[in-house]
Amino acid sequence: MTSLDSLAELFRQADAFVISNHDFKTQGLVMSAVIPAKNLVSLGRSLCAGGYSLLDISTLEASEGFLLTYHFDNINQPGRLAVRLLAPTGKPVVPSLCDVFQGAEWHERESRDFYGVVFDGNPNPLPLLLAEDFDGSPPLRKNPKDLAPLSALGLFGQPQSVDPAWEAYVNPPAKESSPKAEKQA
Amino acid sequence: MNNLNFINPFSVREDPGSSVGDLYTQNFSRHAKTGTVILNLGPQHPSTHGVLRVIVELEGEYVIRAEPVLGYLHRMHEKMAEVKTPWQFIPNMGRVDYLHPVAWNWAQVGACERLAGLEVPERAEYLRVISCELNRIASHLMWWGAFVMDLGGVTPILYAFEEREKINDILQIITGSRLTISYFRFGGVSADIDERFVRLTREFIPYLRERLKMYKALVTDNVILRRRLEDIGPMGVDICQRYGATGPVLRAAGLPRDVRRDIPYGVYPKLDFAIPAGPSDDCFGRYLVRLFEVETSLNIVEQALNELPDGPVKMDKAPKANWKLPAGETYFAVEGARGQIGVHLVSDGGKTPYRLKLRAPSFCNLSLFAEAAKGVLLADAIAILGSLDLVIPEVDR
Amino acid sequence: MDLSITSLAQIIIACLMVIGLMVANAVVMVYFERKTAGFIQRRPGPYEVGPRGTIQAICDSMKLLGKQLFIPGNVDWLLYFLAPVLAFFPVLLLFLPIPFGKFLTAMSVDEGILLILAFSGLGVISNILAGWSSNNKYGLLGAARAVSQSIAYEIPMIMSLLAVIFLSGSLNLSQIVEEQGSWPWQWNICVQPLAFFIYLVSLVGETNRAPFDLPEAESELTAGFHTEYSGMGFALFFLSEYANMLLVSFVCVTFFLGGWKGPFLDGFWWTFIKAYLIMMFIVWLRWTFPRVRFDQLLNINWKWLLPLSILNLWITAIVVKLL
Repeated sequence: MTSLDSLAELFRQADAFVISNHDFKTQGLVMSAVIPAKNLVSLGRSLCAGGYSLLDISTLEASEGFLLTYHFDNINQPGRLAVRLLAPTGKPVVPSLCDVFQGAEWHERESRDFYGVVFDGNPNPLPLLLAEDFDGSPPLRKNPKDLAPLSALGLFGQPQSVDPAWEAYVNPPAKESSPKAEKQA
Repeated sequence: MNNLNFINPFSVREDPGSSVGDLYTQNFSRHAKTGTVILNLGPQHPSTHGVLRVIVELEGEYVIRAEPVLGYLHRMHEKMAEVKTPWQFIPNMGRVDYLHPVAWNWAQVGACERLAGLEVPERAEYLRVISCELNRIASHLMWWGAFVMDLGGVTPILYAFEEREKINDILQIITGSRLTISYFRFGGVSADIDERFVRLTREFIPYLRERLKMYKALVTDNVILRRRLEDIGPMGVDICQRYGATGPVLRAAGLPRDVRRDIPYGVYPKLDFAIPAGPSDDCFGRYLVRLFEVETSLNIVEQALNELPDGPVKMDKAPKANWKLPAGETYFAVEGARGQIGVHLVSDGGKTPYRLKLRAPSFCNLSLFAEAAKGVLLADAIAILGSLDLVIPEVDR
Repeated sequence: MDLSITSLAQIIIACLMVIGLMVANAVVMVYFERKTAGFIQRRPGPYEVGPRGTIQAICDSMKLLGKQLFIPGNVDWLLYFLAPVLAFFPVLLLFLPIPFGKFLTAMSVDEGILLILAFSGLGVISNILAGWSSNNKYGLLGAARAVSQSIAYEIPMIMSLLAVIFLSGSLNLSQIVEEQGSWPWQWNICVQPLAFFIYLVSLVGETNRAPFDLPEAESELTAGFHTEYSGMGFALFFLSEYANMLLVSFVCVTFFLGGWKGPFLDGFWWTFIKAYLIMMFIVWLRWTFPRVRFDQLLNINWKWLLPLSILNLWITAIVVKLL
């Protein structure tokens, strides 16, 4: 379960778009994967069974949409993972992990407060950190020029396998630099 | 997967009906049984240590449901990081956790260094360890006093403050401040230690060891304290895993997880120290783990002082104020007094970080309170809350 | 006892003196408790106001007197104002039968201890009223705790006093002192050590002092039954708490420690010295121990103190009968 191969197998079962290895020394991650949102709960279940616990959910606002990074760490044998989802800007709805990791509830509510991402199945409908009477849009970046494309952020380490459809989506052919090249540079 | 109970916080809310109180109380009391009392502990309450608010449903003296309400001290540190350069953001970290600011310093500075690939001189690494561990002792002592005060023992906190004052005096020499410390710089630390620092620290270590013996005799072995803590609020590995609890909570559950050992940073791999695991997953276990960690930290400080190498405390060509982070992503974790502090840093190569996510250990530790407090007495719920060692600014960030 | 003019005047003068004693006691005890707490906690305590901070307590009481009477919303105002008064005045009566010295008793009644026990039960009513009328959930919880605690601890308290009454055969407090001698080994504490111990524990419980201060446990219930009181209302509760402490100490001294009798020279000073030593003990407990939990508090009473006191009473009765 904890070996990299079995992890990659687990990600493959979740139809991962991208599975990447990372340099733990510089990036603090062992492995990361971008998976379709619908497979999050089943992947979470297998990770939970393998002794992983959810560290945090980090939401990133990019020009393609909201990239949610779920960080997991194994409580028996340290090795940090990142599982990423892409939620489209217009209708950011992703399934909730609350059934598997109850601690996800607060992380998800926090993400909903600040990015407006809707977590389908989160039991608590109230804002977590914002005021209860806060009435306005989430504090997002207003100017589209401030948004960086995912390819410019060097998120994907050394990809093992990349789904061509994802490659085309995240890295339109017009772009010159690939995240891989950037990481090596 | 239902979407029915979701109220979009940013749109018109459904009317909660006849119940009283604010939105949180109304939402909480919607599921209340008849014949119970809904009690708001906080935001101003003697044992919530700041502005935490916990809504509890009481049946007699028994808590049948509890829900923490956060956000009273939310200051948007993560958003601030996006408009400040990494340099300008260092002082913010001291404000996130006022009891262990040095660890938060380290988390942010370490993440930036790791992303940029900066090499820190060895002397600076040792100084980082010394300051971080001294600060950890101060934090644990402060917790110890406040925790016993939650249980009704008013005196120990003043003893704890006395030691903490000594540590503040020591740290003040190198950091220049006593509470919101900003000691770390990219590629090193801001100041070298001097003769007085070494002398005071060397005096302090045996002094505190003696005092810890006294605390054991006076407080830890007290029969009332033991009866109040033993077998109260068990939090096993399972609940810690589901809620992502780290630090002393997880270690008391029996797993020796410590970032200093598991994912080494700084010069911790060169130092010899013990990671406690157990002895029990109740409040008393967490109490003992933290007191043991004070001794561990004393040992680390002593070792680090003995092995302190000569050299500069800042790398050559250390980044200047207009320094730009290279593009990329990193996750850097350090062991704070309350658990694993994580910084998820994403940069697009601009002047400011593109995204800085702070993982606060208290946040995850507090999230398991609702489950742990089910069915316990009100006084025990207070003990459980205290045993989690919460720092509310860190929970709310 | 005939109710002549002189005896009426005697009672009025005694009441005034008792009020004076209560106020003086509160002022002294506030200062003394703060200084003791300071000593225990390695800090100076009050030292700014007056020489060595002696005027601090007086200034604090002036502050409380001068405060605006603040009524929270939706309180039952009649009961809300009645409660602190009701806490204060019964205590006044309780001091009347106490023999401070051989001839220094305000009202020497034959059933003195009955009077004290009966009127001290009124104190808990004021706690209920305060908690109930202030429309506060903390207050209500504190009141509920106060009732069950008072009821619980009164029983072993009475049982332990009863053992002494068996020995002396009188309910008159002066009579009980007269039975004892001047030297410590002639006091009742040597005859009834178990009763003394039970009384000592239950007096802490009866006066709601730490580690048994559950009705006002500040880390759980903020201030318990007097959460909503400020200014003079709070001051009256405060005053009656210290007066109650003094009273149970006097009863303890009378029953177990030889009253006004002491080595070398009998006199009222012995009563005061011994009573204040017991007060010091109570203060010392408060600043040393953490608070017990509520179920533990009741367990101590019903599972330990009560059976022990009944056992003690039986043994005493048998021994008294046989001798």
